[in-house]
Parts: sequence; C-alpha cells; structure tokens
Amino acid sequence: MRAALPALVVLAIAAAVAPSRAQNANPLPPGEGRDLVAVACSQCHYLGTIAKIRDGAAGWRVYVDNMVLRGAQLSGPEIETVVNYLALNLGPGMNLSPPKPVTLPDGAGKDLVETRCSVCHDLERVAVVKRDRRAWPLIVADMAAWGAPTTPEEAKTIADYLTAHFSD
Amino acid sequence: MKQLIKDYLDHGISRRQLVSGLSALGMSGVAAKAVAQNLSPLGPGAAEAVAAAAPVAIRDVEGNGGALFVAQLKAAGVEYLFFNPSTGDHPIFDALVDVPEIHLIKGIQEGAVIAMADGYARASGRTGVVVVANIGLPNAMTQMVNSYKDQIPLLVAVASVDQDALGRDQLQEPDHPELMTEPITKWFWQMQSTAAVAETTRRALKFAATPPCGPVFLSLPTNTLEQRAKAQVWERSKFDVPMRIRPDKDDIEKAARMLIEAKNPLISIGDDITSCRGEKELVELAELLGAPVAGLTGGLGYWSKPFPTRHPLYVGALLRTMRYPGKPDVLLNLGNRFGEIASPGTRLISIRLDPTGLARGAPVDVAMVADLRLAMADLSDAIRSMAAASRLKAIADERTARAAAYSKQMHDEREALARALADSTPVSLERLGLELEANLDRDTCYVTDADSGKTMDALMSFGGDDKPYFSTSPNVLGWGMAAGFGVKLARPDVPVVSVVGDGSFCFSGPQPLWSMARYKAPVTVIVLNNHSYNNERNRIWNGAGRQFEAARDMTCYLGDPDVDYAKAAGAFGVEGETVKQPDGLRDAFARAKSAMVEGRPYLLDIHIKREGLGAVSEWYPPYSVADLRTRKV
Repeated sequence: MRAALPALVVLAIAAAVAPSRAQNANPLPPGEGRDLVAVACSQCHYLGTIAKIRDGAAGWRVYVDNMVLRGAQLSGPEIETVVNYLALNLGPGMNLSPPKPVTLPDGAGKDLVETRCSVCHDLERVAVVKRDRRAWPLIVADMAAWGAPTTPEEAKTIADYLTAHFSD
Repeated sequence: MKQLIKDYLDHGISRRQLVSGLSALGMSGVAAKAVAQNLSPLGPGAAEAVAAAAPVAIRDVEGNGGALFVAQLKAAGVEYLFFNPSTGDHPIFDALVDVPEIHLIKGIQEGAVIAMADGYARASGRTGVVVVANIGLPNAMTQMVNSYKDQIPLLVAVASVDQDALGRDQLQEPDHPELMTEPITKWFWQMQSTAAVAETTRRALKFAATPPCGPVFLSLPTNTLEQRAKAQVWERSKFDVPMRIRPDKDDIEKAARMLIEAKNPLISIGDDITSCRGEKELVELAELLGAPVAGLTGGLGYWSKPFPTRHPLYVGALLRTMRYPGKPDVLLNLGNRFGEIASPGTRLISIRLDPTGLARGAPVDVAMVADLRLAMADLSDAIRSMAAASRLKAIADERTARAAAYSKQMHDEREALARALADSTPVSLERLGLELEANLDRDTCYVTDADSGKTMDALMSFGGDDKPYFSTSPNVLGWGMAAGFGVKLARPDVPVVSVVGDGSFCFSGPQPLWSMARYKAPVTVIVLNNHSYNNERNRIWNGAGRQFEAARDMTCYLGDPDVDYAKAAGAFGVEGETVKQPDGLRDAFARAKSAMVEGRPYLLDIHIKREGLGAVSEWYPPYSVADLRTRKV
C-alpha cells in the first residue's frame, strides 16, 4: 500500500486550536513505541488512517520522515522507534481487518495478487477500476519498494496480470 | 464593534456610548478610549477639527465625483490604483488623466487585481486601493477573503448604476451589491451624493488602515461620480491617527511577573507583530527571557514569519502538545489570532491588536489590547526593572542553550532527511527547498500560496535578516502570482520570487502574468507542478473514507490534460521553461535571475513529485462528452 500523511498543515491547525476530537480513542494496536506514535502523530492528524495502512519499514519511513520535515518533534532515535513500531504492528499481514470478498478473473498472476497484495489492502483497491496501461508497473514497483513481500519476478507477473485485466 | 463605530460616525450615539459599548465587547477602558479618540476627527465635532486644521492640509475642491474621489486619494498620498475598468467608473479614470502622481496598475481579472493590491499592502504597510467593475465584484471577493482574514488594508470600490435606477433590475445590477461584502469587510457603504464623495472616501481609507486593518467597500452610483460638487479634501495626517495603543501598566507588570517566575515559558507569535513592525522588539524579548518561540504552521495567524526561523530560540510549529520544550507553565501569545491554546497547568498571557480575537476560544489569565511593538518593549522594560540582570541572564542562558541544542538538532536532522530525498525524479520538494535556500539571495521576498510546498519552509531561512516571507492565513488559492507582483511594486529593489502550486496557477489563471509583462515586473514565478491538488487529496484520504478504501481519487488529479505552464506564460508575454530533472534546477535559477536583472519576469514550471496517500495514482473518473453524441457535430 502506498500512502503517506504529509498533508497535515491544516489538520495541524485544527488539532492545535480546536477542541480535541476523537483524540482519546487510540486505534493503534499495542506494541513498543505505541505511546510515542500516539503523542507525536496526534498533534496534527487523527490516528485512524495510520491504523488502516499497512506498509513495510521502507514505506513507513517515507511517511515519518515527511512528517518530521513538516514539523513533527521526533529525534533521530525516536524516528527509528516509530518506524519500527509501525513496521512491526502495521506491516504487511499484521492486524488486518476481514477482507471484502472480491472475485478476480483467472489468469497468470491471479494467485500472486490474492496472496501478496491482500496482505496490505483489500483487493477492491486493484480490481474495480481500469487504469492507464503505463500505471500498473509503476504502482506495483512502488508497492515493492515500500515493503510488499514480492520478488522482482513476482512483481512483474503481478503488473502484467493487472495490466491485462484492469487497463483501458 | 463595526456597528458601534458606524453608529458613532453617523452621529447616532455619543462618544460616551461608544466607549461603553466597546467596553461591553471586552475592550479595556484604555483601549476603548483610544479608539474613541482616534475616531473623533471623523465623528461628532469634525467641523471643529477642520476649522483648527492648517489650511494647507485641507483644501476645497470642485469637480465631478470622479475628480473628488481621485483628489482625496491624492491628498491621502495614494500612489497606485489597482483596477479593471467598467463604463460607470469612467469619471475616475478621466480625472486620472491629469493626476500623474497616481499610477494605474491594471489587472485583467478582478481576483488578480485584489491580490496584487493585497501583496502591495502587505509589503508596503500602505492601503491598497482598488477600482473594479460592479459585476466583477464576486471575482474580487474571492481574494478579499484573504485580505479580510489577515486584516490587510484595502479600499475596494465599484461603480454601480445611477441612484434613480437602483432597484429596477437593471442590466448587471444586483440589489444592494454592497451587502455581499458584509462578511468580509470592516465596513461597506453606498455613496449617497456627490458632495459626500471625498468625505466618504476619507472615511473608507481611515477604516481600512485603522488597526485592526481590513478591506472596506464602496459602491459608487455612476451619477454620484458624474455630477459636480464642491467638497474638502484632507491630507492623510488629518484623518489617519495611528492606533498605537500602549498597554495598561498594571497588566504589563502582572505579565512580566508571570514570565519572570515561569519555569518553562513558551512564546506563540503571530502577524500582529508584523503589522506593528515589532520584529526587533520580539527578538529582544525572547532573548531576554531565553524563551522558545513557536508559530502555527500553515499560515493561520502566521503568514509573515516575524521571528527569524534560524534563530536558536525558534522551535518551529506550535503544537497542542509541545514535546519540546515540554508543557509550558506560561504561554505568551503575541499577536496570533489562533495562538491562544488552553491547557490545564498553563497560564495564558495574550496580547492582540484585535480585541475580538482575545480570549475567543481559550480562557486567558492576562489579556491586553495593544500595539505589539509597544507592548513587547514595555514588557522587556518591566522585566528588566523587576529582576536583577544577573538573574535574568542566568535564566536566559540556560534556556537558550537548551533551545539552541534542540533547534540545531532538528535543523540538522531535517536537512539530512531532505538530502536523502534529493535525487528523485520528478523533483522532490526537499531538493527544491535545499536549492532555493542555496540559490536565492538572502533578501529575496518569498511569496507563496503553495500548500504542499510548505514542506520546504523548514529547509529555508526566513525573517530577521533572512528572506521576508509573505503568505496568507486562509490560503484562498490564486493569490500567489498576483501578490508577488504587488510585493515587487512595493519593494522594487529586492528580488521577489512567487512560489505557487499548479492548483493555484489554475485558480488565478495566467492573468497575473499579463500585468507582470505589461509593467515589466522582474518576478520569478515558480510553479510547483505535481499535477494534483496534492494536499487536498491527502486531507480527504486522511479521513479514511471510500476514496481511501477503494484507492480511487475522485477529485484531485490534475495531470490530464498535462498543462504546460511555461507555454501558457509565453502566451502572456512572460518567458519560461519547464524543469523535470533535479540537476536542471541551478541553471534554470540562473536564467531566471538573469531575466530579473534585465527587468523581465520569468516562469519556471517545475515538475514535482507527488507525495502522500494515493500519490502514485493518476486515475480519475473517466467521462467523455464526445461519447455522448449521437451526431458527430
């Protein structure tokens, strides 16, 4: 899954000056670093989206670095703690909600999509809309770079399958 | 407060009633009296004030309403009239034929005209005066929101239909157009007669420029501009009484005592400091206390960065929970409309130019309406008088050392993070921030309404002896390019760079470039082209709704069609180029600088990497009008 939370400038204001909203409910799973994540991240945005994202350490690091550039008060060692917590507890396959049932068309790569992509997100994200043919290899490469559990060969098979079945 | 002042000036209430009314609204007695004092030349007793004034400062002028309007602007020292013409306001422009002291600055869309005047006002500290078409008022209002929220002095006037045609459903005439402006102006008025043109114009200038400043609106029926009358025009000094309100001495001493005794004070800063030209006093006060200084990110109440962002005491964003320097026991809010944050165990001192913003959302222990420059100077003096210099130095040194260590650590950390992202293609904001910091002259005025682009702020130096920073609080897009022109007009001898997103460029359209080309304004425009309303998508997706769940960006992707902003600039007479690789930045900056040296604007369309939730997706809901056709016509 590719996602980050860098757009929190306005949210930061809302969080800083408005009565706190949904700040008391911490949706994050238990684990070392949870309190640090809750405090450092909730200054600017809600935690709900974090809890819904699954990413590898590389992906989470992009998000966290971006937050620090935007004002999050995290030292270097604290960045490591936060990334480790997120990768361990909200990494691929961790603490997933029950998936929505999606039936994929048959073809080479179907099994890989079902087993690799679904460890981070529902297959609804890949199996409903058609994207530009050039888009799928880039999206899959992005997923792999951010921690999706695929080999380069598997990533190519996945991209070919998605291009064949979900492109214009 | 607006209604009270109106009633007073219309002779509906007495001075005593005005003072009582202001006090009832929460203004201190001293401040209320100061307001009444400053309004007195225009209110009851004005005739006496005129009689006592020096004759040279007050002149009788005879002419049509347009000439009287222009004569009063000239007497007030107005240098520029930002405009887009309409038929009804011709007497104003006829009069300007013989008044070379006022330069006409034309914009080709009303929003751009307002933003140009707004940028000029922010950079010059003077009132931006605007005349636009009556029917173009809604266009103008889009940018008046920025001026109103940031309390920028503007006089916006339109020519409406003749008085005897008002209400007859004339072409292009809505009933009471002036009422449309009520929520975003300090004051609005429809001219009642030609004889009142000069006086009412004066009043409008006064209201716009009296702190807390803001836009005012005049609707000028065409017949009041065309008919003749005799009226007085006054020099500005006769009606522009500065609102330099000195804070109450007891309040200052109370605040000083709290700050001296504080174990962990924190200063929240805002734009009132800039309005009061109090930057020097702010640095002096912060250094005296060794108190960390923070500003709300995103520009809310903090569009101007009045404290040097490379100062050791600057700790960055004001957050609800500051992990550094920890929970403050005393929070000193200096002129930030959103800087009052309630927290158990934190006592709040708040000083604002605007009494309506005081104690608005948080309980305040000490509240003062005052000129920030005077208040900070008084506060520093009181602190020095109440504590030994050696004690103050010891406290400040210890706190400053801690703050300096933190700010250096975060600066180094952020720079290292940025360098690690510097080589990506398209260009990362981090790389661009580093390059701008390395390549812009230190006195460059940095004008921006970019949203995602604020990531670069932490990598650059603003305030103090570094780059002056101009933005807006409400971030109504379409401001940046036009405002960049206005800033350059106000400060022709320093470089100006205008940094806008592709979204902002499309909001204003290329119209501001037309004015830059016509008036040979050497401004570098940088379009951060990420082909998206990038931060909008992030905020929407951060709600984890259906767009997030289904990975479908229903609203924000802009990349199809892929707009060529450099080509668009060329069509409006501004040279430009597209930069797609990070290695191309420095040469592009050099070419932009050469153009500025030669007195020409220049545009850089820089392809920027999208970041965030759903950033990689270029999908948008497909739909084809051509496919709807049953005939190929």
